[in-house]
Amino acid sequence: MKVKKMLQQDRWLVPFLKQQKTGLFWSIILSFMTIFAAAGLMFISGYLISRAAQRPDNILLIYVPIVLTRGFGIARPIFRYAQRLVSHNWVLRFVSKSRQRLYDSVASSASKIRGQLQTGEVLSLLADDLDRLQNLYLRTIFPLGAGILLYLFVAIGFGVVNWLFMLWWFVMLAVIMIIVPLLSLLANRSRVHRQKQLQAQLYTDATDAILGLQDWISSGRQRDLVTYQGRVMADLAATKNNSMHFGWWRDFLIQMLSLILVITTLFWAGAQFSNNHIAINFIAAFTLAVFPLVDSFLGVNQGVSESSFYEDSIKRLNALPENTIKATPHLDVTDETVALKNVTFKYDDKAIIRQLNLTVVPGQKIALLGRSGSGKTTLLKLITGDILPVSGQVTIGGHDVSALQQQLSQLVAVLDQQAYLFDTSILNNVRMGNLSATDEQIKIAIQQAGLQPLIDRLPSGYNTSMQEAGTRFSGGERQRFALARILLQDAPIVILDEPTVSLDPKTEHEVLQQIFTVLADRTIIWVTHHLTGIWAADQVYFLEKGQFTLSGTPTDLAKNATHFQQLLAMDDLG
Amino acid sequence: MIDKRLFKLKGIIGILVGLVMMTGIQALAILAQGIFMAIAIVNLWQGKAISQTTSAIAFFAIAFVVRQLLVVFKNHYMSKYADEAVETYRQQLLTKYTALGSTLTIEQGTGNAVTTLGAGLDNVKNYFQLLLIKVFDLGIIPWLILLYIFYIKWEQGLFLLLIFPVIILFFVILGLAAQSKADAEFANFKNLNNRFVDALRGLPTLKQLGLADSYSDEIYDISEDYRKTTMRTLRIAMTSTFALDFFTTLSIAVVAVFLGFDLLDGHMTLLPALTILILAPEYFLPLRNFSDDYHATLNGKNALTDVLSMIERPDIADQNVLTLDAWTSDSQLTLQDMSFSYTEGEPMLKAINIEATGYQKIAIVGESGSGKSTLLSVIGGFLQPSDGKISINHQTLPHLAQKDWQSQFFYMPQQPYIFHETLKKNITFYAPDVSDKLIERAVTQAGLAPFVAELPDGLDTMMGESGRQVSGGQAQRIALARLLLDTQRKVLLFDEPTAHLDVETEYDLKQTMAPILASHLVFFATHRLHWLDQMDYVLVMHNGVIVEQGEPNKLLADTESALNQLRSELRGASS
Repeated sequence: MKVKKMLQQDRWLVPFLKQQKTGLFWSIILSFMTIFAAAGLMFISGYLISRAAQRPDNILLIYVPIVLTRGFGIARPIFRYAQRLVSHNWVLRFVSKSRQRLYDSVASSASKIRGQLQTGEVLSLLADDLDRLQNLYLRTIFPLGAGILLYLFVAIGFGVVNWLFMLWWFVMLAVIMIIVPLLSLLANRSRVHRQKQLQAQLYTDATDAILGLQDWISSGRQRDLVTYQGRVMADLAATKNNSMHFGWWRDFLIQMLSLILVITTLFWAGAQFSNNHIAINFIAAFTLAVFPLVDSFLGVNQGVSESSFYEDSIKRLNALPENTIKATPHLDVTDETVALKNVTFKYDDKAIIRQLNLTVVPGQKIALLGRSGSGKTTLLKLITGDILPVSGQVTIGGHDVSALQQQLSQLVAVLDQQAYLFDTSILNNVRMGNLSATDEQIKIAIQQAGLQPLIDRLPSGYNTSMQEAGTRFSGGERQRFALARILLQDAPIVILDEPTVSLDPKTEHEVLQQIFTVLADRTIIWVTHHLTGIWAADQVYFLEKGQFTLSGTPTDLAKNATHFQQLLAMDDLG
Repeated sequence: MIDKRLFKLKGIIGILVGLVMMTGIQALAILAQGIFMAIAIVNLWQGKAISQTTSAIAFFAIAFVVRQLLVVFKNHYMSKYADEAVETYRQQLLTKYTALGSTLTIEQGTGNAVTTLGAGLDNVKNYFQLLLIKVFDLGIIPWLILLYIFYIKWEQGLFLLLIFPVIILFFVILGLAAQSKADAEFANFKNLNNRFVDALRGLPTLKQLGLADSYSDEIYDISEDYRKTTMRTLRIAMTSTFALDFFTTLSIAVVAVFLGFDLLDGHMTLLPALTILILAPEYFLPLRNFSDDYHATLNGKNALTDVLSMIERPDIADQNVLTLDAWTSDSQLTLQDMSFSYTEGEPMLKAINIEATGYQKIAIVGESGSGKSTLLSVIGGFLQPSDGKISINHQTLPHLAQKDWQSQFFYMPQQPYIFHETLKKNITFYAPDVSDKLIERAVTQAGLAPFVAELPDGLDTMMGESGRQVSGGQAQRIALARLLLDTQRKVLLFDEPTAHLDVETEYDLKQTMAPILASHLVFFATHRLHWLDQMDYVLVMHNGVIVEQGEPNKLLADTESALNQLRSELRGASS
């Protein structure tokens, strides 16, 4: 019943099967024809040589079987080839549609500008899920469809000759095609679940072993490592073996059932056709045709037993929210003052931000400091409307941020710890800041970000590709590219979220200087982990347990606040 | 087809002999199954009563059951061997990993090492378990069947024999064509696939730039391009399977038709003809099974190569040259004219001279890329120097990967690794058997008490990946607690322990760390110069060379010193 419920609520598998009926139809028909041709070949050739052995006077009497034998011989591989192409094409169409769907779904849930609920890893996981579903179609759903079709065909085929024997086949095939797979699905389900768990644990353990290698060695616990790792691996091997053993014996059982089918068919054919000189040739025909049929049933069985492997993927995809973006009217924002009034935010009843007030006037540059866990990230999320305060109000130019979500990118630009660069050319990456920018404008932005010397060094210049998430360039260069993008984006408010945390001190100085020079006319809200470059800020705020414990201009703080002086000493700036 | 290295494995010969015997029996069962099936059908065809052919049917059934049982037995047999082999490899692999230590991760990359241990061993198991069976099936079964067919009708046997290489030839030629086509499309293929993941991962950025909505259609277009490219490749790639399929099925049809003509002409009787017809598909079956798994075989082979080449790597020699019970206040470590370079390229460290005695606190400072971490790695023995003289307490050593030296120090990296274990087990990693009281004291000393108080299960809370995530500062404190519990180690190596922490956390951590440094030999690599007030000696590095060394106060007093120059560089021009 769980399965039924799951199918009813499913938004990824079932709708698509309904949408793409033609392809599905042909894919199943072709795979049915493949099996049909294979069985037909054995059937006809069995008949052919039996008939030939009777030495008919005229070769024309066996002419039709000869042609059919060749025909089936050629048809089977062609059907199979066509079936594979059609089904792959179908599945890839599914991939196209569902990728777009996945993107839309994730985009709507991350509709907030800084919604980082989905980390890169989770997203890759979802992408993998889609890939996995391709196999569900290819290995389970298509063979199952063809199997059911075959089931009907065989039953009717026998029914024409002898309805009692048809009933027998009906029952036997029901056992082979429905009962055994269902039982094996149920029996395997918990094992599959366990196997996945262990697999995940094995990965964590392997990571523990390699990343913690130095600790294992230094502590002299090498032996512990070997045994510790062995436990899970042995467990996993045992679980896998169990399901494999189960599979072997299940296949064996099906073979035994098919043996019964072969023998009963032989008996039946012997009795049915013995009294007729021509019909007697069908004994070989029917008996030989059973073997290729049985082969295809084995495939269905494996496919169905495997299907529980996809359960998690389907669940994960179905758990994604529906695409719901509400259009809000465009508001005219004239003054870009950011204001927080008595803002409180709680997470699980724990107050992260308490009764906070903050006003940032246009053009002002503020720096925010605080230990990890002090609420800096939450504060930024509140400003961009990613999360809504429990009480109090966050406004930009007097409008509530939640009403500005659709036009937020025109108001607020963000520079993260690690800017994401797309796998396309430098020019295209920067252009993303403003799609209507001319090449000339882009080049100016790149120059302002201090990247001209780098571009001049590259053989393909502006057209150099970024490669995998921008790994081609150093941390400092990547931040500069992101800066160029923000220059083009031309939003009046810029949020800097520890943009230099992963840079070395020298590069850090250079990048910060560049940022504050080119963004001189914008409002800047800057979260920073230490005091390098702090003199560029008009106001410095220290956040602790959701409240500002210290604030002022850097010059005043350096004069009057001991805490600030201590920290300046840490940065060797005092 | 079969890897030669396979025969060198311990105990494999016996296993393979067993496999060959079982496959042989299976082949005989297949023969018997076909022959008795044919007899039964012919008997019925001749109009005999079913009761007259029961023995043939019984023999057929027995042969059928034996054949299927052997399938299961062979699987059991090989899976048992595969498990044992993989377990041996795993132990050898891990032993090798621990013997090589950081050298391994530096050379191979962590990702690679993890993959070899996980997916790599899995592929090896698959190779032993499933693929060897298919290889031996192909090596034995068709040929026994062919022998029998030759015996009853040599013309048909000859046809089946000659068609075999033709099939393989077409399979290979078309396979190569498909490969080159796939190679040609590979870049395109990969690019299109990556771009989807790229867009997903960059989604927050797209949102920030206000581009998320317009990208949706682009995703579909990219995916459709991907589909078209893939289908182009698949159309070719599938032809090799098609060729295999085509020739085998057609061969069966041709055999049937020729048998028909022979029967018609009276050259043959039904029984041998039917036997050949039944056996013909069995003749091709192992080839088809093998070709289905051809790529898995290749993966398995490659994985085995990876695992074996890792296991066969030489250990680090001479790790027991040093005899050192404990580092004491008068122990001495000297490096003379030491240099280090990776196998190729410029030396990373040149002419390093260091003399460290007793519980000195030595800072290694310099901008990033100056060689601080590399020097620390050589001192820790994670890297072996290429030249120079090293000694501890006047014992000359080839390198510092000495067992007795490595058990003396505690190494603290920038990001200490937190195991996927409880906090308690993480803390007691170096001293698993300490009392709860000592643990509590270490927790307090390391400044972890407030963190522990916040945790739902206190010290028994699971840490690390998929457990409780810790911040950089907390990870450092956990590592400090580890160190506090191990009172034996008198040497501390710090590699930029506070580099990426926020300044307030760094300040707090410094208060915790300062007292711990006492009565230890300390090497402290950092570009955070405020640590100098805790040090009594400093090495200033630049481009792999120690440009200056001495007491920090004296060097700071000298306005022309390299240390002061570094200091002004680190402060930046803006301040």
